[in-house]
Amino acid sequence: MDPIALAAIVLVGTIVIGIVFSVPIAVSIGLGSFFAAIVLLDVEKAALVSSQRLFTGINSFTLLAIPFFVLAGVLMNTGGIAGRLIDAAKVLVGRTPASLANTNVVANAMFGAVSGAAVAAAAAIGTVMTPRMKEEGYDPKWSAAVNVASAPAGMLIPPSNTFIVYSLVSGASISALFMAGVIPGMIWAGACILVVLLTYRRFSTPQPPSSVTFSEALLVIWRAVPSLLMIVVVIGGIVSGIFTATESSAIAVVYCLVLGFAYRTIGVSDLPKALLDAARTTAIIMLLVGVSTALSFVMSFSHIPQAVSDGLLGLTDSPQVILFLMMIILLLVGTFMDPTPAILIFTPIFLPIVTSFDMSPVHFGTMIVYALSVGVITPPVGNVLFVGARVAGMGIEPVVGKLIWFLLALVGGLLLVIYVEPLSLWIPEMLGLLGD
Amino acid sequence: MEPIKKGLDQVLKGASVVLFALLVVIVVWQVFTRQVLNSPSAWTEELARYTFVWVGLFATALVFSERGHIAVDFVVDKFSPRVQKVVAVCVQLSIILFALAVLVYGGLRAANGAWNQSLSALPTQVGVMYLAMPIVGVLIAFYAVYHLQAVLRGAEEAIAHEEDPQVV
Amino acid sequence: GGGGAGSGVTILRVALNQTETHPSYVALANYSDRLEAQTDGRMRLDIFPNETLGAQAEVLQLLSDNIIDLGIISGSQMENLSKDFLVLNMPGVFDSVEHQMPVVHDPEIVGELYTSLEDSNDLTVMGGFTQGSRHIYVKDEISSLADLDGVKIRVQESELNLAMVRALGGSPTPMAFGEVYTALQSGVLDGAENNEVSYFTQKHFEVAPYFTNSNHLVGLDYMVASTEMLENLDPADRQLLEDEWVNTYLDHTELWGEATQEAIDGARAGGAEWIEIDQAAVQAALEPLADTFLTTPVQRELYDKIRAAAPSQEG
Ligand code: NA
Ligand code: NA
Repeated sequence: MDPIALAAIVLVGTIVIGIVFSVPIAVSIGLGSFFAAIVLLDVEKAALVSSQRLFTGINSFTLLAIPFFVLAGVLMNTGGIAGRLIDAAKVLVGRTPASLANTNVVANAMFGAVSGAAVAAAAAIGTVMTPRMKEEGYDPKWSAAVNVASAPAGMLIPPSNTFIVYSLVSGASISALFMAGVIPGMIWAGACILVVLLTYRRFSTPQPPSSVTFSEALLVIWRAVPSLLMIVVVIGGIVSGIFTATESSAIAVVYCLVLGFAYRTIGVSDLPKALLDAARTTAIIMLLVGVSTALSFVMSFSHIPQAVSDGLLGLTDSPQVILFLMMIILLLVGTFMDPTPAILIFTPIFLPIVTSFDMSPVHFGTMIVYALSVGVITPPVGNVLFVGARVAGMGIEPVVGKLIWFLLALVGGLLLVIYVEPLSLWIPEMLGLLGD
Repeated sequence: MEPIKKGLDQVLKGASVVLFALLVVIVVWQVFTRQVLNSPSAWTEELARYTFVWVGLFATALVFSERGHIAVDFVVDKFSPRVQKVVAVCVQLSIILFALAVLVYGGLRAANGAWNQSLSALPTQVGVMYLAMPIVGVLIAFYAVYHLQAVLRGAEEAIAHEEDPQVV
Repeated sequence: GGGGAGSGVTILRVALNQTETHPSYVALANYSDRLEAQTDGRMRLDIFPNETLGAQAEVLQLLSDNIIDLGIISGSQMENLSKDFLVLNMPGVFDSVEHQMPVVHDPEIVGELYTSLEDSNDLTVMGGFTQGSRHIYVKDEISSLADLDGVKIRVQESELNLAMVRALGGSPTPMAFGEVYTALQSGVLDGAENNEVSYFTQKHFEVAPYFTNSNHLVGLDYMVASTEMLENLDPADRQLLEDEWVNTYLDHTELWGEATQEAIDGARAGGAEWIEIDQAAVQAALEPLADTFLTTPVQRELYDKIRAAAPSQEG
C-alpha cells in the first residue's frame, strides 16, 4: 500500500477512535500524528519530529496573549463586573419590548468585550438575570435559552482567544481578525434580539417599559465605563501598532488589576486563584496547539490538504457550494467538539482551498470561529448550554427546546457572515490592517 | 502514591502561580522599555517565550492530574459501567504511551539533536530548553498510572465529569 | 534517506520559508525540472514553501536527522550552530551581489566552512542564494549619514544588527517583520533596512518613501543539505545534484536581479525616491564592526580572504 495513503488512514483512524472513546482530544491528535509519522519515517524520527513540532508550536510569543486575556477576564469577573454591565445594558435597551431579555443579550455582548470566555459570561450574567426575569414573569426555560444563545457573542467580539488560536494556524494578523470579528459579533447578538422580539409574547407577561432617569443612567454608565474602556486600551494599542497583541493582553491584566484595586473589588488574596485558573485554561489550549502543530506537519509532509483540496474541487468548482459544504461540516463538528481543537484540525485543510479562490484568511477566520461557536450551545457537547442550564436550575432538555429559533437565526447570521464579505473585512480594511 | 501526587500537585500549583505572575512582569517590562525608555531589550521576548513554554507544560501536567484535558464523553457515557472501566483503563494507557513515546523519548532525542544550537538572545541552547518535555512527560505518565490504579480500585469514576466545564 | 518512495525514484524534500512567487521558489522549481528531465524522472524535488515544515531553526534539526533533505536557511540561523558563519553576514564583507556569488561558491574560500558541520550536525552547505544588497529607508528625507542621528530603524534582532545601526548613527529597534508597516505608519519607527524586493512587496514605500543607497549588507540564504542524504545518493546522482545546483544559483541570481528591477520600478511608480548618500562614509562607519565581532583567527582569515576577492580591492 502507498505509505502516504496508509499514513492518512492511520492518522484519521487514531484521532477519530481516540476522540470517540474519550481519550483527551490532545492525546488523540498527538498519538495519531505520531503513528502516521511512524508510517512515513521510522519510530525514532517520528518521536523526534512529533516532540520537536509540539515544542515549536507552543514556543510562540503570540500564544502568550491567551493566558493574559484569560487572566484579565477572570480578574474582571472577580471584580463583580456582571452586575455593572447588566445595569448599563438596561439603560441602553430598557425601553424595548421584553427589555429584560434584551438586557441579558446586550450584557452578554458587553461581557464579551472584556473577555472571550463564553462560559463565564453565561454563568455570571445568567446568575443575576435568572431571578430577575422570573420575578417579572418570563418563562424560566425561555430566559435560560436567551442567556445561553447570546453568551458566545464574546468569542467573536474582541478580545478573543479563539481568534488568537486561528491566527496561529492561519498566519492571519490578530489585529485584523479582532477588528473583523466586531460586526459578526454584533450580528450574533442581533440575531438573538431579533428572536426575542419575534417570540417574547409567548413567554412573558406584558411589562411596562422600565424608565430610568437621566441621572440614574449617567451613574450606571459611569460605573460600567471604566471596565469597558479596557477594550479601547487593548484594541487601540494593537490597531495603532503601539502594542503587539501579547503586549496589549499584558496591559489589559495591569488595567484590570488597577481597576480592581481602585474599586476595592479585588484583593491580593484573590490573585493566586485567578492566576491558577488562567494557567489551567492556557495549559489545555497549549497542549492542543502543540499536538496540532505536529498534526499539520504530518499532513503537509504527506500532502493531505492538497489531496482533500483536489477531491473537493473535483466535486464542484463553485466557491459558494464549497463554502456551504464547509459550513455544514463545521456546524456538525462543533456539535461535539470545542472550537479550539476544531480550528486547529480544520484550518490547515480548509484554508488552502478557500485561499485558492481568493477568500481572505481574515474572512475565513470569522466564518470558522462563528460556525464553531454555534456548537458551544448545542448538545451533545455544549458547555455554554450545560452551564447556562445549570445556573438557571434546570436540565438541558427544556433549554434546548426553546433554543431552536435562536439556532436558526444564528445560522442565518452565519450565512450572512460567509456570503457578505464586507461584514468581516470592512472595518479592518478601513483601518489599513489587511496589508496586501 | 497518594501523598506523592498531592505533593506534586502543590509544587506544580505554586510554580504556575509564581511563574505566571513573573510572565506578566516580563511582558509589561518589555512594553515599558520599548515605549517609555525607548531602548528595547533583546532578551525579554525570548525569556518570556521560554518561561511560558516551561510553565505552560507544567500546568499541562497539573491538568492531567485533575483529569481536566477536554475529552468527548457522550458516547462512553452510554456504555455499561464494566465497559466504561475498560475504556478508562485504555484511555490512561494511551496517555502513558503519548507521554513516554512522544514527550520523554522524542523529547530527549530532540534535545540531543539541538544540544549545540544556540538561542538568539539568551545564553543557552535549544536542546536545554527541550528538556521540559521529558520532565513533563514523566510527570504526566506518573499521573496516568495514578488514575489507572485509582479507577481499577474503584476510588475514581471511570469517566471524569468536569465540574467547571469551559469552552476552549 | 533521500525520501525515496520505492521503485528507485528519489524525491528530495526541500524546506523553504518563502512563497511560491519568490525567486528562491522559482529557482528551486526549475532545479527540480532539470533534475527530473536528466534522470528520466528518477530524481526530483518536493518543495515545501511558506515554512510548512517549520521555521528555519527547526528545519536545521530536521535536516540533521534527514527527515527532510534540503533547506534554504538564513545566515543568522547558521550562526546559531557555528559562529564562523558570522563572517559572511558581516556588514561590508561583500561589495555587491557580483562579489558575493562567486565567493560563496568558491571551495578555496568557503570549502572548509561548508563542511565544518558534517561531523557535529550531519549538515553540508552546498552554496547560497543572494538576498540582495540591503539599504536603509526612512519616512523623512535625509541627505547624509549624519541625518540618521537618533532615527529609529527597525532591525532583525541580533547583537550585530543592533551594533550595525548604532555604527551608522541610528537608533536600532528590533521588531517582527510583519509589524513593520504599521509601525512605520504610526511613527513607532522612522525607518527600516532591507533589500528592494521586500521594500516593494511589503509596501513599505507607501509609508517610508526615501530609499538610500547605504548598501551596508549583502544578504545570503544558504542551501543546506542533509549529509546522510548526500552520502546515500548514487555517486552519479550526487554529481548531477551538485552540477545542477550551480545552474540553480546562477538562475536565481538572474531572477533576483529581475525582481529587484521590478521592485525599483514599482516603488518609483508608487512615489518612492532614491537618495544618494556617501557610500565611503558608510563603509568607514562599518569597518570597526569586524574588529569587534570577528574574534577568532578562523573568522579573521575567512574575512580577509573574502575582502581580498572584492572587486574594489583589485581595481
Ligand atoms: Na471577546
Ligand atoms: Na455542541
